[in-house]
Amino acid sequence: MEAKQAVAPGTEGRGAGLKRRLAVYGQKYGILVALVLVCLVLAVVNEYFLTARNITNVLRQTSINGILAVGMTFVILTRGIDLSVGSVVALAGIVAASLATTSSTAGVAGGPYPALLAIAAGLSVGMACGAVSGIVVSRFAVPAFVATLGMLSAARGLTLLYGGGRPVPELTPGFRVIGTGEVAGIPVLVIIFAVVFLIAWWVLSATRFGRHVYAAGGNPHAAVVSGINVRRIRFLVYVISGGLAGLAGMMLAARTGSALPQAGIAYELDAIAAVVIGGTSLAGGVGRVTGTLIGALLISVVNNGLDLMGVESYYQQVIKGVLIVAAVMLDQARHRRE
Amino acid sequence: MKKTLYAILATTALTMPAMAQDKPKIGAAVYGLNAEFMQIWSAALEDHPAVKEGLVELTIFDGRYDALVQQEQFDTMIAQDFDAIIFVPIDIEAGAAAVDAAAAAGIPVVGSNTRVNSDKLKSYVGSDDVKSGYMEAKYVLDKIGCKGEVVIIEGPIGQSAQISRLEGNMKALAECPDVKVIEQQTANWSRAEAQTLMENWLTAHPDMIDGVIGQNDEMALGAIEAIKAAGLNVTDFAIAGIDGITDALLAVKAGDMASILQDARAQAQGALDVAIKSVKPDYEPMSDIWTTYSDMPWNGGTDAEYSVPWTPVTAENVDALLALRQ
Repeated sequence: MEAKQAVAPGTEGRGAGLKRRLAVYGQKYGILVALVLVCLVLAVVNEYFLTARNITNVLRQTSINGILAVGMTFVILTRGIDLSVGSVVALAGIVAASLATTSSTAGVAGGPYPALLAIAAGLSVGMACGAVSGIVVSRFAVPAFVATLGMLSAARGLTLLYGGGRPVPELTPGFRVIGTGEVAGIPVLVIIFAVVFLIAWWVLSATRFGRHVYAAGGNPHAAVVSGINVRRIRFLVYVISGGLAGLAGMMLAARTGSALPQAGIAYELDAIAAVVIGGTSLAGGVGRVTGTLIGALLISVVNNGLDLMGVESYYQQVIKGVLIVAAVMLDQARHRRE
Repeated sequence: MKKTLYAILATTALTMPAMAQDKPKIGAAVYGLNAEFMQIWSAALEDHPAVKEGLVELTIFDGRYDALVQQEQFDTMIAQDFDAIIFVPIDIEAGAAAVDAAAAAGIPVVGSNTRVNSDKLKSYVGSDDVKSGYMEAKYVLDKIGCKGEVVIIEGPIGQSAQISRLEGNMKALAECPDVKVIEQQTANWSRAEAQTLMENWLTAHPDMIDGVIGQNDEMALGAIEAIKAAGLNVTDFAIAGIDGITDALLAVKAGDMASILQDARAQAQGALDVAIKSVKPDYEPMSDIWTTYSDMPWNGGTDAEYSVPWTPVTAENVDALLALRQ
């Protein structure tokens, strides 16, 4: 919100400002209250929910979707959408894995290569996919939905071409650290997610680039008039989203122990769900990465809680659906008040 | 992808009139080529002696996991006067209409690997999923001494393999009344989903789970990763899966699990032998699978069903099986 005001300072009177502020806080904390309530209920009905091990599990299960959702937040803030992240997860995962496998049939000749090289390759693949989407969106004015739908299909096809449709097993211990390692009892998966989140939070709330992301989504014309290179911003958010999808893909492969060409199917939907539940508006310019974090946590906590209670997984899908729609209804109600 | 391209090229070649006069044209419509099992199946089909010696023209169609795509591929094959079709349907019910259409055009259809609910199939060459479900559950129950607590990780609810493998699981469980199934849930054949599920179950039932019955290898492997991530000892659990995918063979070798191998090669090559026989009455089967499996006699290629036996993967045979994958 600060960012929006920086471009178009609020002109409301004191009362209107207060009311708006309340609405904003209500929305911002509404989702947090929902998360706390769900946790409280689960803590009461299930004795294991609040154990350290289960909390670690929830965080671990949030990490991969959380990282995708952070990237998606950048994109959605600029009024865009990135439907390709699930396919990029598979492509980056299989490319990185092929460099970090001891299997003679699935690996790249001369391998296995050092884990850092494989990770650099996976990140590059993800960023390259994002860059292509970004160019198509920012330079050729193709709607983001269409451009990234194209990438969703193309990246999945490239994944199957690259590996001949076969999984890449037998990953090196060094590479698997990003999926199964622990530092002082905290899973490396969670540490990576935390670092990604903190950097994204800092970028969006404290840097010029972050302010420009909000401005480019909130009011692109005003942003252009005030000298912001909106095209460049629109390009860069897809590179960020693609790079994070690449990272998530490698974490998934390292976690499961094998890179599968079918990995990540429909992951974009969970990422978008986390962003939307977290209160970021699909109309652009409004939202916070902290909301996305809470949205991603809420999805995992609900899934985890229902698993702990032995509830059929089909209910998880129903509840996620209700959450998404309820969050957007809240968002719409806030827009009407404004 | 390479196979699809090959299929397109092969189809183009076949439509040239001069070529296919005496060679039977045989099409194989498989539900999808993205996963390892059907890749092994397809490679085995292309590796059949009759194909390698050029006695038949083989075209493989990738159904891309879509019943409608498979139906259209049948229409294509009928239009191009294929002599026989080998069918691996995505869905037990949705495939019946395609078989009807081929039967109406006088083209024999041989089922393989997955079932289709049709009485117009010439024959079916596959493995009985009820048996594998029984075998894997039996392994788990034997290892825990027929008492204790187990979990079942199921395939997508309603798919024929899930239904049949569960039937087999339950048959074995009925023989051990002291074993309690404390959780039973789908992970949709997915390793990542099974891993999350098992992590949550290990939390909900600390020190209680003795055995894991995974209805395929991927999900059993996901459970193993969850056990490792929880800092527990995999050898304290009895874990079994089905299919014999390469990763599972490696896990069997490491002593982490048991797997029941589904012989994709025998299913594919057996189906092709039966299909050729239905076109050329004087044909004798060329694949070596008929000598490998004495329990599955050829019987002149006219049986309505050929049940390819399952092979338990053991420490003794795992190296030989892995060598076949190279």
